[in-house]
Amino acid sequence: MRLLIVGGGIAAVYLANRAKKIDALLDVVMLSDEAYAPYDRIHLCSLVDESATLQKISLHLDPRVHLELNQKIIKIDKEKKRVFSKDAMFHYDKLVIATGSLPNTPFDISKIKNAAVFRSADDAKSIKEGIKGREVVVVGAGPIALELLERLGKMESVHKVTLLVRSNFLYDKNLSHESIKLIENSYTKDKKMTISYEDEIIDIVVEDGEIKRLKSKKLEIENPFVVFGIGIKPNIDSFRDVLECNRGILTNLFMQCEDDIYAIGECAEVRELGFVAGHVEACVDEAECTVAHLLLQEPKEFVRKTTVDMLKVGEFNLVDVISAKFSNPYEKVTVSAENCVDEYFLREKKLLRYVGINSNTDIAFMQTIMQNESEVAIDELYKNRVAKDRGKLVCSCTSSYHNDLVDIVVKNGVGSFADLAHFSQAGRVCGRCRGEVVKIIEGSQHLIDFGKVKKSAQDVEIEKKVEEAKKRVERYNKLHPKNQLDASNLEAAMQSFDIKKDEVNRWISMVSANMQLHPKFEEVVQSGVKVLNKVPIIWLELADCSGNSEAFIKSANPSIEDLIFDYISLDYHELLMSASGDASESALEDIIKNQKGEYVLIVEGAVPLGLDGKYLRIGRQGETGIELLRRCAKDAALVVAVGSCAFDGGVVAAAPNPTGAVGVAEALGRDDVINISGCPTNPINIVGTLLYFMMFEEMPPLDEFNRPLWAYEGRIHDNCERRGHFEAGEFVKEWGDEGAKKGWCLFEMGCKGAYANASCPSMKFNKGTSWPVQAGHGCMACTERGFFDKYANERVYHEKNSH
Amino acid sequence: MKKIVIDPVTRIEGHLRVEVEVDEGGVVREAYASGGLFRGIEIILKNRDPRDAGLLAGRICGVCTNSHFRAAVSSVEDAYGIELPKNAQIIRDLIAMALFIQDHVVHFYHLHSLDFVDVTSALQADAALALEEAKKYAKNPYASSLSHYEAVLLKLQNFVKAGRLGPFAYGYWGHSAYKLTPEQNLIIISHYLEALKFQTELSKAVAIFGGKTPHPQSIVVGGVTSVADMLNPQRLNDYIFSIKEAKEFVDNAYLSDMKLLAAAYRDEIKAGTGRGAGNFFSVGGYAFDATQQLFSSGVVYGHDFSKVEEFDESKITEEVDRAWYSADGEVCYTDLNDDGTLKTAKSDDKYSWIKAPRYNGEAMECGPLARVFVSYAKSNELIKPFVDEFLKDTDLELTDLSSSVGRNAARAIESAYICEYVFKLVSDLLQNIKHDDTQTWAKYEFEKLPHCAKGRAFFEVPRGVLSHFVSIKDQKIENYSVIAPTTWNASPKDRFGKRGAYEQALIGIKIKDTAKPLEVLRVIHSFDPCLACAVHVIDAKGVELGNYKIKSVSCMV
Repeated sequence: MRLLIVGGGIAAVYLANRAKKIDALLDVVMLSDEAYAPYDRIHLCSLVDESATLQKISLHLDPRVHLELNQKIIKIDKEKKRVFSKDAMFHYDKLVIATGSLPNTPFDISKIKNAAVFRSADDAKSIKEGIKGREVVVVGAGPIALELLERLGKMESVHKVTLLVRSNFLYDKNLSHESIKLIENSYTKDKKMTISYEDEIIDIVVEDGEIKRLKSKKLEIENPFVVFGIGIKPNIDSFRDVLECNRGILTNLFMQCEDDIYAIGECAEVRELGFVAGHVEACVDEAECTVAHLLLQEPKEFVRKTTVDMLKVGEFNLVDVISAKFSNPYEKVTVSAENCVDEYFLREKKLLRYVGINSNTDIAFMQTIMQNESEVAIDELYKNRVAKDRGKLVCSCTSSYHNDLVDIVVKNGVGSFADLAHFSQAGRVCGRCRGEVVKIIEGSQHLIDFGKVKKSAQDVEIEKKVEEAKKRVERYNKLHPKNQLDASNLEAAMQSFDIKKDEVNRWISMVSANMQLHPKFEEVVQSGVKVLNKVPIIWLELADCSGNSEAFIKSANPSIEDLIFDYISLDYHELLMSASGDASESALEDIIKNQKGEYVLIVEGAVPLGLDGKYLRIGRQGETGIELLRRCAKDAALVVAVGSCAFDGGVVAAAPNPTGAVGVAEALGRDDVINISGCPTNPINIVGTLLYFMMFEEMPPLDEFNRPLWAYEGRIHDNCERRGHFEAGEFVKEWGDEGAKKGWCLFEMGCKGAYANASCPSMKFNKGTSWPVQAGHGCMACTERGFFDKYANERVYHEKNSH
Repeated sequence: MKKIVIDPVTRIEGHLRVEVEVDEGGVVREAYASGGLFRGIEIILKNRDPRDAGLLAGRICGVCTNSHFRAAVSSVEDAYGIELPKNAQIIRDLIAMALFIQDHVVHFYHLHSLDFVDVTSALQADAALALEEAKKYAKNPYASSLSHYEAVLLKLQNFVKAGRLGPFAYGYWGHSAYKLTPEQNLIIISHYLEALKFQTELSKAVAIFGGKTPHPQSIVVGGVTSVADMLNPQRLNDYIFSIKEAKEFVDNAYLSDMKLLAAAYRDEIKAGTGRGAGNFFSVGGYAFDATQQLFSSGVVYGHDFSKVEEFDESKITEEVDRAWYSADGEVCYTDLNDDGTLKTAKSDDKYSWIKAPRYNGEAMECGPLARVFVSYAKSNELIKPFVDEFLKDTDLELTDLSSSVGRNAARAIESAYICEYVFKLVSDLLQNIKHDDTQTWAKYEFEKLPHCAKGRAFFEVPRGVLSHFVSIKDQKIENYSVIAPTTWNASPKDRFGKRGAYEQALIGIKIKDTAKPLEVLRVIHSFDPCLACAVHVIDAKGVELGNYKIKSVSCMV
């Protein structure tokens, strides 16, 4: 399925990353109309004063997301599910519009060199270039204008800045006079800044594409550079004809406009709430709702939340907490002292908004009472204002105060900003205060007593991952599989199989260790096993010998794995299912049709492509192997190729490959098929892959051949029980000789352990009974590509030996 | 005439299609068995070093895994005239014997029993009555106690409650051809579950000397490699222990379940349901004690056990008139009908990837039943008491075994018999080691072996007679050919219209519900089909290996 995202801002990026994380197989394509990879607009100011580069403010985008730049979408064809840019067409299955907003201008400035808006990296660039040697005029009194103003004030190259304000307030019309004065002072104490209230541009003289003179109600400025920060409007002109729009593109509470179309972020308007997002948090929440509706089983409705904004200008520091319910009428209580104002906006004993300037209140507390709509007594609020001694508010998004952060750093031995992520998201949500947070971490290093640090950052990270994995596994519990057994049945079944608890625990440890998971994951693995039966499984046998199926039913730890084998929802497996003929075909169709995107497809055997695939035909209609494979793979959540034939054609594709056989990935032309090679493979690797898929909702770390690293990372030769004899130069020289009786190295008898990566030396086969090296034969590298033409013999390997 | 198509036939190895034509009364008048997959392993074997044949040919089948491995190596040894050391012979036999038992048990319980046993009916069983019932068929029924049956019932209830049963889903449950009482169903299902555990134990026995299973890796031209395992008393002990456990199960569960089936399905047995033409052959084998042999060789025609002909390999021919090959051995795929059914309208229409081997011009049946018949008819004193006891306990005659249920009975009898005598092979091995004979490999220098040679190997393997033929030229495999047990049994018709064993056994059976052809599955499964084994390119001139080529393009007729 292709998820097409139009837009390149924070909402789009968040959505793309989340979608890819949930479904690694989803084809996510992102179309940005800009020339740059996504970046964080919040830091645009840093581009103007060159305190950061575009690279530095870039947003992390999952590298598997396909990003197309310079694609401004001008048309949608809903019928055919396509969108068009000037020079390209993109198909979609699901479309998400996240085009954000466009800045307002009082007149067309596209042809004027010395006027700009402030919305993109290109804007920042043109401001940076254009302000040289000119008087800067910033129009507007909102946060964007104020923030830019602050930066410009600090720049040495800027000599004079004028702020044109149409009315008589700064930041927000609801602020008290005291607050506005405080804000104003923080700017105007710098002599190069002027604020002109109740003023606006009334005339401009343009020559050669330049504003030569600007005339406002009160001022006349020669040769200015004008920056407009007078508000934004949703960027939806390309969609007005085809989608229902009001201020923004109208959506339901799941952010859905129409069947396959969604809109999020500043371009979207939630119909029921009349809400258009303006904050990062709201955009992220909307993206989250979209993902839930699109990809998860549990859609959730968008709910407006209390938001926190912050404006920092030098020493001056403004925090604005606004409830979703905020509107007129309200009563206001203003508490002011020197250099410090708290404004409480109340209605019917409920707090609707709080603005604090240079204040020291507990923001999290404000947020909570607004979110919960608790009744408040004003004296409580007054107390809150002085009760906390947490230092200055550093991160408004996470309500982290200076002293809180120092505590965290000291207690946990946080050494870097990266480490901090395991304990606090401070500096990471909108990112504005990141620099400040970094400084606090650096400044607190000397306070850390490493003898007292309890949990390392890694510990915490693992715990978090375990938690996440647990949640994902729990999600499967809500699926309704064909094989409706639950955890209690598993317990009962274990009892009837006489399986003891410690036996199970040992097995869980073994599987976890085999998957190279931290021991803390054992609990999740155990719960994973319990819901394993919720994953519907189709096991297809193509051009095979059933060796892998046989291996699976003979897996290493008989009672437990047999039980799991019984227990997993092996809904289609020709070797074992009781249904035959038409009945078995309906079983297959039922899964493919009714459990789209949920089932796992395991394929055993090669895919013959010669003779139009007719070397293998299955079913009443005589479907060819490749047709059947394609049909089953199309809607599978995961495709696992089991055994060497499914990996690369194996023995069936050995020279001269009479039937034109290939492996599953090649037959499907896909690079997202997990290969579990081996002739046959160790069944534990199959169970491990299923568990990993459930716990992490993604493919396990894979090697270059898409084989799970945990099973194929180690080289046989390095882990071989006979390695010591190799080092000692003790070799078997002929079958049955003294060396053979003593278990010496088999290299000279053609053992290919040096060329093979697999876990055989540690896992062995048949309940740990033996493996080819133990049986004195040596390895034939059956996990490797083309091994029958290269390694399957009893001679020392030289290139010329190969077939 | 109405046509019933079953594809895929499940609970077998590989890809098998069966089409039967029934008359108004539901009686099968014609049948076609078709192998649906061609891989061309023999073509792949060509031009390779003869010493590599085993590892590659082993991959013909992952179920009969060891059989092809061994047969391929043996055919090369035969070509070079290499005499196998006694110990190597015994170790190969020990691997094979463990596989016989394991294969038979898995076949009956996991691949076949559900054709006779109704899982859902077992839910109505009374555990106490089941306990009584079990005692009718065995002196010491396996794992038989009230609590055991109660536990199994509970487990079943848990599984069945939801009505969706994973691999049990979509079975023909409640079909009127199911004849067991709830208690009888419960008994066999409890063994189904026990066998799941037990078969993994037995595969340990294969792995002790084979390195692993499926696809053991310890046989080489001239001997075996697992000499260190052979000299390790603990390994031998483990092997013996596994077989002892197997014997306990075979005697008290498998064999007794067969007696139970023989009683419950007596009418079917007496009516000869699933009976073929009665042509059986066995090549015998598995010698011990210098003079004894587990199976006898010979040929029986038309159920006439009074006359046993000596087996003569030169009487084997192969035909391809109805298989997708041309007379000179090329692939000649003539496709299916437009609706996906087999092309069978004309008497020379081709319809299977399986060639048609014939013995003395006759379609033959091989397998446990054939081994039991031939050995019994040749008065093999070792097997006779096992057969006699079974016939006595079930009040059946020898010929009655020539039926679907009888084929299973023969498999169980054979398993019990092997469990009894495999210890003789172990003691032969111990005697050798005691007398300081620890040789496991016959030394040869490959370069000095004849550069051109031909060899063949015949073995009795779980499903019947397996033969490999190799021809070597300039130290490379020039030609290779395999006739596997299922090649014989699942063979298509020949140019005279003579049906293969599956097809013949289906003729005359009555199908109660054509939408649920349980009766067809019963007959087919009783042969223990193994299709990966069965499909091999034709050798145009009989066992004299001919030259054939294969083209990747079909010759549309």
